[in-house]
Amino acid sequence: MPTMKRVEIKAHQHLKEMLRLYFDDLEAASHDAGRRVAWCTSVGPCEILAAFGFAVFFPENHGAMLGAKKMAAELIPYAVGAGYSAETCSYMNCDIGSALTGRSPLTDVYGMAGPPTPDLLVYNTNQCREVQDWFGWFSRKHDAPSLGIMPPRCLGAVTKDHIAFVKHELELLIQKIESQFGVTMDHSKLEESVALSSRASTLWREVLDTAQHQPAAISFWDGLIQMSPVILMRGSQTAIDYYELLLAEMQQRVADGVGAVPGERWRLYWDGMPVWPRIRDLSEKFQELRTVIAASTYCNSWAFEPYEGGDPLEWMARTSLEIFINRDEEYKQQFLTEMIQQFSIDGAIFHNARTCPNNTNSRFGMVERLRQSLDIPVLVIDGDLSDARFFSTAQTMTNVEAFIEQLEERRR
Amino acid sequence: MSDQGFYVGVDAGSSATKCAVIDWHGNLVGCSAVPSGFDYAVASERCLEEALGEAVITWDAVEGSISTGYGREHVKFAGRYLTEITCHARGARQWNPDIRTIVDIGGQDTKVIRINDHGQLVDYRMNAKCAAGTGTFLESIALKLGMSLTALDSLAMESTAKTTINSYCTVFASTEVLERIKAGDPAPDIAMGLFRSIASRTFEMMTSPGQGRVAGTGGVVAYCRSMVRALGELLQDEVIIPPAPQFAGAYGAALEAKERGCGIRAREGAESC
Repeated sequence: MPTMKRVEIKAHQHLKEMLRLYFDDLEAASHDAGRRVAWCTSVGPCEILAAFGFAVFFPENHGAMLGAKKMAAELIPYAVGAGYSAETCSYMNCDIGSALTGRSPLTDVYGMAGPPTPDLLVYNTNQCREVQDWFGWFSRKHDAPSLGIMPPRCLGAVTKDHIAFVKHELELLIQKIESQFGVTMDHSKLEESVALSSRASTLWREVLDTAQHQPAAISFWDGLIQMSPVILMRGSQTAIDYYELLLAEMQQRVADGVGAVPGERWRLYWDGMPVWPRIRDLSEKFQELRTVIAASTYCNSWAFEPYEGGDPLEWMARTSLEIFINRDEEYKQQFLTEMIQQFSIDGAIFHNARTCPNNTNSRFGMVERLRQSLDIPVLVIDGDLSDARFFSTAQTMTNVEAFIEQLEERRR
Repeated sequence: MSDQGFYVGVDAGSSATKCAVIDWHGNLVGCSAVPSGFDYAVASERCLEEALGEAVITWDAVEGSISTGYGREHVKFAGRYLTEITCHARGARQWNPDIRTIVDIGGQDTKVIRINDHGQLVDYRMNAKCAAGTGTFLESIALKLGMSLTALDSLAMESTAKTTINSYCTVFASTEVLERIKAGDPAPDIAMGLFRSIASRTFEMMTSPGQGRVAGTGGVVAYCRSMVRALGELLQDEVIIPPAPQFAGAYGAALEAKERGCGIRAREGAESC
């Protein structure tokens, strides 16, 4: 089948430069005795770290890079040899394997020696417990403290008591950092960082929402790249400036009727993690099938409710608790239902990621419930976020093509 | 679409490439199966030639063609390709309109396909990517036991016990077989246990067993009566076996070619559909 040419995102050139500057700064910080580097989980309390003046590195981003560069198969065996199961988080195993071998895409892409050595590691188990063990390995390796917060999980309604509990955990975290490094956090800086984080997050949501238009201005595949600032540069003006630029471009696409997938015929939803080593194959297949992944749980994970003043720690506690991955099945079903309706979705794909049970939503009957309540086809594909050994390209492509044939048959 | 033309469907599967030729009424008039080998293009050409010979027609009489199966993109003469899920469903439905679930057990994978009263594809599932639950599982263990798949099948049909092999993994299942041999279990019972293992994996993939009749397609069902028996035991119902189960995908592809008015890629002036 002939494939029409994809429209490139113009703002992307700025993003490349921003990422270069971000990693240059991390490298500089790691060699500067006057600066400190903190590692943080992707939905961790990075605003606190920014308020302390840490340069913040996000190992999950590194895990995704290792996956996208197809390095998992060569690195994971080293982590398994060190006693980490091949069936647990492949981000973690890739990252440990990377540290054990000294191989990292950060070297080739950004000229770094590798991930910056941490002075502190800070995690949030709102996404999974694996991050605690992941950071534990690096904490022992670098003799750096690993601190974290552990919000209550699988919540339906988020209550004041939940928020108060997590806020208290954040306060204790601040105290521990102050005690550990003999510094005092500047609370006005925290407020500023939270305000910037919230603004970037709101703009990111607005960017994603341009896919509600038909044709969708942005696809899931674009989103996987474009979400970097809201993770890596949350709490900075840089992220806000970029998303204002990107949003304007996407709004112009909407006005001009330009879609991310030329000749869009089908609109799908993607739940779960991306399959990083097969992003190109999958995006090309969907483009060939003139199918846009118009919305996803994953890209929306960093679209928080806005901060409207008040106690910044309370906002951080609330956003920690309210994220999709931290909610119960009923909440998730309601969220997915609303997304599927808002984005005029024809069918949904659930990625059953072998080593990421917490970010897989096809294991407790959700697929059947959605099929019945929404009367849309739902496909489950088996794979993994980074470890391509759990993914069969031929079988997945057959599944995807059959899914589109199923949609065509419904329309015939 | 001509009212006198013939249509060709090719199912380029992981183990065998199958070709079906139908006439303008949808009757199966020629079919052939050859090993897929290393080159799907070569296998499909050879298969086509044999099927046309059986139908006693020449290539010029063919109005359209669709390919399916893992090697579907490599069948050069086909006007377009469709997945084997759509094609198996179409083929089985043509043979028996009461069919609502199709269980296709092939060499590479196992599929469970559900269709509604209008013959539309409602849902489908494929096994996870390992060999467990596929024809390869049986072939691998038969090879280890030093017998052919058909011999394993014949042996299993002699069993009167309810033995099952529980391991999911092909390697572990082999070990379990060895344990049972050591324990002195009768060979027919062990053999039947292997077929029940596949039936059990297949049953797990059915979202709504008991709703409508179930048909079995694919090479394993075509050649192994024990597979049909094991599935029937689990479903507590007789499994429908179409007249040419191994050719359900190719037959369905030929029917789709006729209905969609698909052309032939290599022919001048013909249009893909």
